[in-house]
Formats: sequence, structure tokens, C-alpha cells
Amino acid sequence: MNLAEHLKRSAVLGLGFSMLLSLVLGTWMFRAEENDLRLQQRQRLAVLRANALVLAVADTDAAATRSRVQEMQELNPQIESVIIVAGTQLLASTRAEDGAPRALKREEKPLYDLSNLIRTARETNRGEEVVRKKTVQIEETTRGHLVVTLPYLSGGEYAGILQMKFNTAGADTLGDKADSIALPLWMLLAALLAGTFLRLHPEKKIDLSKLIAIGVFLLIALLYQQQRIERLEQIEVQDNQSVAADYLALAQQYDRLGILSLARDPASVNRWDTDQYQRPLGLIGADGRISTEGQARQFAKRAGLFKPILWAINLLTAAVLLMFIYGYAARGYAAFRKNIDAYIYVAPAMIGMLVLVFFPFAYGIALSFTDTTLYNESLPFQDRLIGFENFRHILGDFNVYQHTPDGISWNYQNFYWTLMVTVMWTVTNVTIGVSVGFLLAMALNTDGLRGKAVYRVLLILPWAIPNYITALVWRGMFHPQFGVINQVLQMFGMEPVAWFDGVFSAFFTGVATNGWLSFPFMMVVILGALQSIPKDMYEAAEVEGASRWQRLRFITLPLLKPTLIPAIVLSVVWTFNMFNIIFLVSGGEPGGANEILVTKAYKIAFENYQYAYAAAYSTVIFMILLVYGFFQTRITKATESF
Amino acid sequence: MKQRLKIILATGLLLMAGIFTAAQAADLVVWHAYRGAEKTAFEKVAKLYEIKKGIKVTTLAIPYDAYADKITASVPRGKGPDVFIYAQDRLGGWIESGKTVEPIGFYIDDATMKQFLPGMMDAMTYKGTVYGLPINYKSITLIYNKALVKTPPKTSAELVKLAKSLTNADSGRYGLAYWYTNFYFHAALMNAFGGKVFDKDGKLVLNSPQTIASIKQMMKWYKTDGIMPTEPSETLVSSMFNEGKAAIVFNGPWFIGEISPSVNFGLAVLPTIDEAGGKPMRPWLTIEGAYVSASSGQKESAYDFAKFLTSEEAGLILSLEGRQLHTNSAIYKDKRVMNDVVLKAFHDQLNSAEPMPNRAEMTMVWSPVTTAMNKVVKGNATPEVALKEATGTIQDSITALRKGR
Repeated sequence: MNLAEHLKRSAVLGLGFSMLLSLVLGTWMFRAEENDLRLQQRQRLAVLRANALVLAVADTDAAATRSRVQEMQELNPQIESVIIVAGTQLLASTRAEDGAPRALKREEKPLYDLSNLIRTARETNRGEEVVRKKTVQIEETTRGHLVVTLPYLSGGEYAGILQMKFNTAGADTLGDKADSIALPLWMLLAALLAGTFLRLHPEKKIDLSKLIAIGVFLLIALLYQQQRIERLEQIEVQDNQSVAADYLALAQQYDRLGILSLARDPASVNRWDTDQYQRPLGLIGADGRISTEGQARQFAKRAGLFKPILWAINLLTAAVLLMFIYGYAARGYAAFRKNIDAYIYVAPAMIGMLVLVFFPFAYGIALSFTDTTLYNESLPFQDRLIGFENFRHILGDFNVYQHTPDGISWNYQNFYWTLMVTVMWTVTNVTIGVSVGFLLAMALNTDGLRGKAVYRVLLILPWAIPNYITALVWRGMFHPQFGVINQVLQMFGMEPVAWFDGVFSAFFTGVATNGWLSFPFMMVVILGALQSIPKDMYEAAEVEGASRWQRLRFITLPLLKPTLIPAIVLSVVWTFNMFNIIFLVSGGEPGGANEILVTKAYKIAFENYQYAYAAAYSTVIFMILLVYGFFQTRITKATESF
Repeated sequence: MKQRLKIILATGLLLMAGIFTAAQAADLVVWHAYRGAEKTAFEKVAKLYEIKKGIKVTTLAIPYDAYADKITASVPRGKGPDVFIYAQDRLGGWIESGKTVEPIGFYIDDATMKQFLPGMMDAMTYKGTVYGLPINYKSITLIYNKALVKTPPKTSAELVKLAKSLTNADSGRYGLAYWYTNFYFHAALMNAFGGKVFDKDGKLVLNSPQTIASIKQMMKWYKTDGIMPTEPSETLVSSMFNEGKAAIVFNGPWFIGEISPSVNFGLAVLPTIDEAGGKPMRPWLTIEGAYVSASSGQKESAYDFAKFLTSEEAGLILSLEGRQLHTNSAIYKDKRVMNDVVLKAFHDQLNSAEPMPNRAEMTMVWSPVTTAMNKVVKGNATPEVALKEATGTIQDSITALRKGR
């Protein structure tokens, strides 16, 4: 048995590949988590001191502030420098060369802007009664060197900003990274070893060796992940301990020197250890004791973020394993080798599709799992992740109607109402388009019809005019007082109709416009198909004594089907997402009742700035069309005719 | 062979790098959305700056539809212009999403602050920080057909009396026409009664007795007095005015170009409202500002150019040749400006006008309020009910946007 044959039979490639992928992705994710934890730890140490500084100078005048800051900086060499900026003035600085107090220099504009930014953040949080803006800005210039800026208060009022440069060198609790490489390597080796001993039978559906391979893979992957999670938890506990120790030492020192008094009451809140919104983290008490519930809560929150990612990794790598042990990988590779030229030819197009279609698409789907709005889009992605919340909100809201004393009142903002309108809109329009198109095509297909070319051009005209213009013209025609339709109605003695006031009449305006726009396409498609039906079929049927209806029913319609079905599928998708007509003609009036799903998604994104919610809306639209397309092709077997 | 390829590649790269750095070094890139006379005048000002300061200014006209999105997409990613011009309505959104508009409060001096007409800087200030320099403003005012109206009305009583005499609903003639169901136009009435959309902290205070009173006033004109047509729209108002079927319209400077040459029109200040205690109608001001891009590599020169745009010298060119209402108060002492009927009339209206809010939340207000106004006009709801419903919708959208962290 040669090596190639051996590889085909053994599970070594499959297990090795999937295990490697799982370990690399897992290590990459845990490494990122660990780095994030370390950064958080450094930030906490810095924010702790910055908060203490601000608290220590809150009730002092400018001169006292200057000396107090100087004193505290000298006590703690990790604090490299402290400056206080009030308006355009550099109020205090621990660096002698700064020559404080003085006016800010031209190149110090960023400080002035930062002070405005933080003032605004504070005012916004208070004014809107919602905490959404960071009042503490942290920047890590180089690793371990942090710049923390936070509001400088005087007498409880905002008076400027305090900026502290801090060096956290040596603050890391778990510095060694050696075992984070060695362990996965051993595990990969174990998987490879197991793989060499397993003999596979790709043709069988289930056999013992497959089960063992899957078992080995899951065992190693889950073991590794469990070990990593425990390590993360350990880091978190140690971080809390070291922050607590640091806090206590600092607080006792300040207490002793009379700078800030240490609250010994265990119930009082620790106002030093805060997040970037200056809210106490609740992990360490004012007396330096670590809160176990707080710690558990903190870890659960973190786990809530990385657990779904782990699941995704496991699913992906398990799929890779299955691909290998069922022989798909081998067959795929063989096909690739055989048709390598073809793949090279389509590569440019594939890259284009990837960048222009699949990337935005994937981005949209990723966005739908966040709560991104205009106001928080600058936050890091993981801070915005909320899982399926948007979908739950869209699909789980069944408040479609309410019973009121006057009868049922519909909630036009509800998803299911909009979905119903969209479905009605699609069905009506496609029906109109197909039937009108069919009738006109039949008429145009009459033998010996004179002026056929002229009719055809005239009938295609609605399609040739940009639908933007057509839509605006129709909108004008429906104007209640000056529109041509009401004028005609009045000519015949009828009452004018306020077209955009009623749900049904406004719906009708859209259908009329879209009907006008959509029949030419159907007509052209059907006409083409009609002309390709051989004449002798009809002649033969006539000889057999078939009636006109029978000829239509048994010759024309069946032969039209292969052309008509794809045209209808296409037309359904188009109409389902027919943005222009709804947006320009009725605009969803009255009160959003005639909105279809796409126009609704547009309004959510560009009027309400809820980008993620709109992305979720679009994802739902995509899913609906996907399911529709799937069933449509299944039922009609339309694909067979291609 | 390989060696030669490498050399070619390397020289190519060097050349490209050279071109990019050279292009970045001196030129100021300015984006705007002007066309026609506005564009010509703006380019003239840019040229003038170039001659005076020796800094090359490249102006680029962007189609208006794509303009805001282009700014939103390019500037936060470090691309785009050094200076861009836009009205204040998008300012709040750009500031909240960050990395788009550079705060310029640090650069601005007292002399620059003082040169502007009243209210202009408010539109450029967001939550107490200055982000731009105002260049021109627009508001609606009263425009009348001189063939039908001898003296324009000064109070609402005069307006109603005059309009009634000119209204004949059967032949489609109305004394007054404006897009009263559109909140932008209605705001003039709302402000007369003292209604507001947001308070100073950004809380929604639209549902107030003052706003309701203003809607009732509008309904009085429409229903009780019957001096306005149904279902108004921009095109309806202009076609009625051009056909001589509307004697008085409330509209802005963009409307002047649409008036047919056969109509002899005059302009006047919007009337005072007797029902609001004789307070004047106060239309909203849309103010275009020049903003320094947050990703500009030469913010100081960018600011200097923006400042030049607001100077008297530039203002005269922009208003006389570009037909803009410039924000520099000094140009309204110039004879050529004051002899221009249109420029003078809109400048007069400025005494009672206020800047439109520049908060991002404002985009959520338009559509629900317009729906509410339509409901009231069609008699489907009382002003109280319609406004309550609208503010509920708006408040929901605002709460979703201002989500806590």
C-alpha cells in the first residue's frame, strides 16, 4: 500500500486538519481574551489612581490642587505625570518644564478638544438620564504606558479635565506564555496519533472508526477549551486580588497622610475602581474586600461573549472533520486538480464577488447581531454584540392589532403587518403583471396583425422610461384636488377620492403604478416563448378537432411553463423588494400602513439610525426570499428545464 | 529578467508614493454640492484665496443626493476633503458618530465670532462646542403676487381678511398657499406660539400646549377660514402661484427660481400672529457651515480657508454672484446687497427666525409629525391625539438610539 492510498484510508489527515484548525482558532480567541483581560487590568490600575487624584482635589482651590497633585505624583512613581486643563488654561502640571499655570499652546489643541468632549459626555449622560458616553478616556500609547483623562471637578461641578500618564510595568499577574503553545501542540500530536491507527470506510454511513474519530476530536477540543476557560477565570481572580491589594495599599497610604480618607464601612461603594462611565465596578468594596458575586457576574458576562464564538469554532471544525472522514475532501481535491484551468479562469470573478457581494453580505449579517446605532458605532465590535436580541424583537412582537371601543385597530409598525402587506403587494403585482403581459403577448402574436412593430414599441415604453419618473408622474395623477384621475372621476359626476388617506386606496396607487411598470417585461418574455412554439403543433391539434381553449390549455400553457416559471420567480423577488414605487408613490402612507419590508428597513436605518436593527430586518427579508426560492424550485422543478 | 522586473516595480512604487505625497502636501481639498451660479461664485472665492495666500484650493462639487453619505463613509476612514460644506441638520449625527467633524472652538477668535448675523453660530454649536463656521442661511418668508396683493399683510387678522377676499374654492383660487402639512413649514407657526422640539438637554418636548395651539391655528386657516388648498405640496404651491391661483405663499429662496417670469412678485416679512399674542411667525433657519474634516492633515490652513469663506470680501461675491444669503453682517451694509429686493427681504425675515435644531434625533421627528399633521388636516384625529401618538413614536425611536451602556 502506497502512502497516498494509506492517507485515503486513515483518519490522520481528517483528524489532524480539523484538530489543527480547532486549536489554532481556539488559541487565537483565548489569546485575544487574555490580552483583553490584561489590558483591562492595566486600565483598572490606572483608572483607580486617576479617580483617587480627582477625588483628592475636588474641594481645593487652584494652588492647593497644584501642590496636592504634585505630592501624590511623588508618592507614587508609577504616575509619570499629571496635568489639569480648564478651558484654554493649563491649570497644573507636575512637569516643571510645562510652566503651569499658562494658556494652552497652539499644538495643544487636542487637550482643549478632549476637555470639551468629556464635558459633553458628562452633560449628555446627565441630560438624557441615560449613561451612554464614556467620561473616562484611556489611551495606551505603548504597551504598559497609559494616558487616562477624566473630568476634573471643583465643588461638585465640572471644571476641566485631569490627565494622568501612568506606567503599569510589572503589573501583569500571569506573564508566562510558554504553556499556551506547548499544550495545544501535545494535543495535536495525540490527535494525529489516534488518526494513524484508525481505518476509515468513506462509503459506509456509520462505522466504529468514524465514531471513534469524532469522539477523539470532541474530547480533545472540549478538554482544551475547558482548560483555557479555567485559566481565564484564574487570571480574572488574580487580577481582582492584585487590584484589591493595590487599592488597599494606596488607600491606606492616602488615609495616613490625610489626603483621602479610607472608608472602612464595608457597605459603602468603591468609587475608585470604576468603568469608563465612572460607575463603580462593584468588584472590590470600599474596604478592599473582593465581592465574590461581583466576580462571578463579571466572569459570566465575559463567558456570555466568548461561548458563542467557541460554539461556532466547534461547529466549523467538526464540519471539516466530517468532510474528511466521509471522503468529500478527497473528492473535492481531485475535482480541483482535474479542472484547475477552469478555477483559474473564474478566479477574478470570484474575487470580485467576494469583495463586492459576499463581504457586504456577511458584514450585514454580523451587524444584525449587534445593537449598532449612529451613537455607538465607534465602540469596539464586541461591546456592541447582543446576540439574537434584534431578531427576537422583530419576530417575537405579535402586537399586530388592538381591540378598541371602535373596533380593531391595526398596529402598522408591527413586522407581521408589514410582512402581510408585502406578500399582498407581491401577489397582486405579479398576478397583474403576468395576466396583462399574457393577454398582450397573445394579441401581439396574432398572425397577420398589422403595425405589430409599432404596438410592440409602444407597449415596451413604460418599461423603457426610468421608473423613478413614472412613479412621480403617477403620484401626481393621484393628487386629490389637481390629479388627473380625480378630475376624470368628477367629470363623470363621481366624488373625488383622497387616494393616500385610506389603507386600500393608497395600496391601490402602488399597485396601479407597478402594474403599469411590470407588464412589459412579462409581455416580452411570453411573446418570445410564444414565437418559439412550432406552428405545426397547432395545425395538428386543429386537424384532430381541438377547440381554441383546448389548444391554449394543452399546447400553449405547457410550452410556456419553462419560460414563465423563472420569469415569475424573478418577478416575485423584484416586486418583494420594489423600493422605488412604494417610497415615491405612497411613501407608505397612511401612517406607515403601506410600507413594505425594504422601505421599512430603509426608514429604520436612515431615519432612525438604528443600523443593526435595520440589518436584522434585511436578514429576515433575505431568509424569507431564500425559503421562498427553495420551495418554489422544489415544487415546480423549474430547474429541470435549464 | 526577474531583476529587471523588480527594478521596474520598485520605480513604479516610488513614483506612486511621490505622486501621493506631493498631492497631499500643499493642496486644500474642499467639497461642496453647489451648481450653477453658486458653484461659479464659490470657485471664484477659492481662486481669490489661492491668489492671496498662495495655497492651492481644489474644489469638488458632489451631487447633493450622494453628498452626505460620501462624507459619512470617507472622512472617518481618513479619506475625503480638508473642508466640507453642509447644512447644520447632519452636524449632530456626524459629531455623535465621531471622527468626522473637527471641533474648531480652539481656533476661533472674538472678531470672527462677532462678524456673524445673530443666531448663526448657534447652528454650528453642538452641546456647547463649536464645530463649524456658518456661511449662508435660508428660511421661508412671505412671497406675494403683486397683481393680486397691493400691500402684504402684517398681522394674521389682515392676512385672513385679505386671503378670504382672494379665495374662490370653486375656481381653485386661494388667498394663501404653503406646504402647511410639512413640519418644516409649520415650524414658523409653532415657533410663534413658543413650541419647541427639544429642550436644552435634548429631551423631547414637542407635545406641548404651544405646539397644539399652533396646529389649531393652522386648522383655523385651512378649515374655518378656508383660505388654503387641500393636500399641499411643493409642486402644487409653485404651480398655483405661477398660474395666479395663489395670491400669497410662504416659501424660501429656492422658490424664487421657480417663479415664472410673467408673475410680478414681491417679498415681505411673515405676519405676526394675533392668537399668539402678536408674536411674529418665526421660520426655521437652515444654515450651511464650512467644517474642518477630522481626518485633514492640515487643519489650521483648512480653518483659515473656512474663515475666509465667512469674510466680507468672500461674502459679497457669494451673495451678489452666487445669490446666497451670506452670514457676515457687514455685507448687509453694502448698497448692492441692500438694493437687491430678494436678499434684503430674506435678511429682514432674519429678525424673527431661529436655527433649526442640529441634533441627529431631528430626522426621527419629520415623518411622524407630518403623519400627525395629515391626520389632523383630514379630520382623522384631534391635534391633541395626533401629536401624542407622534411624540410616542418619536420617543421610542430616540430611546432606542440613546441606549445606555
